[in-house]
This record gives sequence, C-alpha cells and structure tokens, in this order.
Amino acid sequence: MLRSLHVRVGIDILSVERVSRLLRENVGIEEDVFTARELEYCARRARPDEHLAARFAAKEAVLKAIGTGAARGFPWTDVEILRDRAGRPRVELHGETAVYAGARGIADIDVSLSHAGGLAVAHAAAVCRSGEGASCAST
Amino acid sequence: MAMTESELHEAVQEAVVGALGVSDDEASPDATLMDDLGAESIDLLDILFRIERSTSVKIQASDLGDYIQGGIPDDEFSDENEIISEKGLEQLKKVMPQIDTAALAGNLDANDVIKLFTVSNLGDMVARRAGGAA
Repeated sequence: MLRSLHVRVGIDILSVERVSRLLRENVGIEEDVFTARELEYCARRARPDEHLAARFAAKEAVLKAIGTGAARGFPWTDVEILRDRAGRPRVELHGETAVYAGARGIADIDVSLSHAGGLAVAHAAAVCRSGEGASCAST
Repeated sequence: MAMTESELHEAVQEAVVGALGVSDDEASPDATLMDDLGAESIDLLDILFRIERSTSVKIQASDLGDYIQGGIPDDEFSDENEIISEKGLEQLKKVMPQIDTAALAGNLDANDVIKLFTVSNLGDMVARRAGGAA
C-alpha cells in the first residue's frame, strides 16, 4: 500500500512581557498551562519567563501544525515541550490532543524555539503518514 | 452569598477589560472576544483565570469547546471537512443566540466557531456554571 508523507507546519510569536503579566497577575495559572517538567526546567534558567514564553509559543505552534490551533480548547498541558539528550526541544503529546493527532495520522512533530528582543517564537512541523489505516485527514 | 446573573456578567466584563486592557465601552456584551477585541489564546487564559478569582467559577479553555459543542459528537457536530452541520448550528444557536444560522449554514468552519463568542456569551456560560447547569 502506497504511503505518503505530508508535513504540516505551525508558527507562533508572542511577547515575553505578555506571558510575564499573565503569570504575575494570575498566581497559580502556570499549572494550567505548563507541566511540572516544563516549570522545573524553566525555573532553573536565568530568565525563566523567556523560556516559558517560548514554550507557550511552541504549544500554539504545535496545535496549529496538528490542525486545531488553540480554538478547539485542548488542555495546554497536553502539549509538553521537553529537551532531548542533545538539548534539542522535543514534543510529547498527552490526553485528548494525542488522540486527536493520532486519529489524523500525525506520526511525529518537531519544534524549534527562540527568544530575543522581548519576543518568543516557535515553529512546529508535524509529519503525517497516509496509507493503510491512516488518512492524514485535512483539518 | 451567591452572585446574581447580572453580577456575574459584570465580573466577566471586568475580567475582559483587565486581561485585554480595553475600555468598558469596548468590552460591550456583543463584542466578540477574538475578532472585535483581538483576544488571543493567552488572553483567553487570562480572562478565564480572572473570572475564577472573582466568581469562584472555574472554566478551563478546554471547557469552552465542550460548552459550545454541547456534548454533540464531533462527527455529528461537523462534517469530514470540519464544516458545522445543521445539528451543530442548532446547538451553536443555543449558546450564541446572536448568530445568523441561515447565513452560516454550510460554510462555518469548526475552528472559526470560537471567533463568534461574545462577552455576553461568556457571561451566560459563567452564569450557567454558577447555577450548576452544564
């Protein structure tokens, strides 16, 4: 059975100060957005908010690549941004988002993050394999 | 003491004003959060958290989608191209009474539904939650 690969991309950019304000004015909200592993990693950085903002952008970028954007209201913690042994960011999907992505034939997601000049940006690429049992359904 | 529906709507408006930095006039009941007021995902998070603080009604971003869809399965709510079905539009009319279902029939993408959500719609959702309704 012929299998083909499709790549879907997503990108997001936001102000680090917007994330700082969100966290500053809503104590406790970080647990609704970031996983414990994400919070632990960012807390160890010199400027945690930059890293949190980049991860927020990454979550949005991943959701766009999957095809929903944040419009579907999947839990933010379903998209977890971790780092591999080489220090590269990697994506782990959980819960409803993982199920949604799987149903649409998404086999892998890669993400890249950056922050500078008060902005955080992330780009995600989702690889979808179509063929027997998977349709790479358009979203 | 339980908040009245009017007080809950007022709390929602205050949350929108505080999160988005817009004026009271801009955050009118019929203003759409995303299109009219420019709210992005991070702003929705901010708004919902402020609402929880001021009303004790907890609504997560994921709850918005569930509320709007009203328990209708995805494959009945929209078609394979994610265009909202007739049944889906009937449901949307219940939670967003201001929408013109005739005009939207056959061309409303599921991912665009949230863009129709107004300050008043959010107030209604909070009021229903506070009253114990779904």
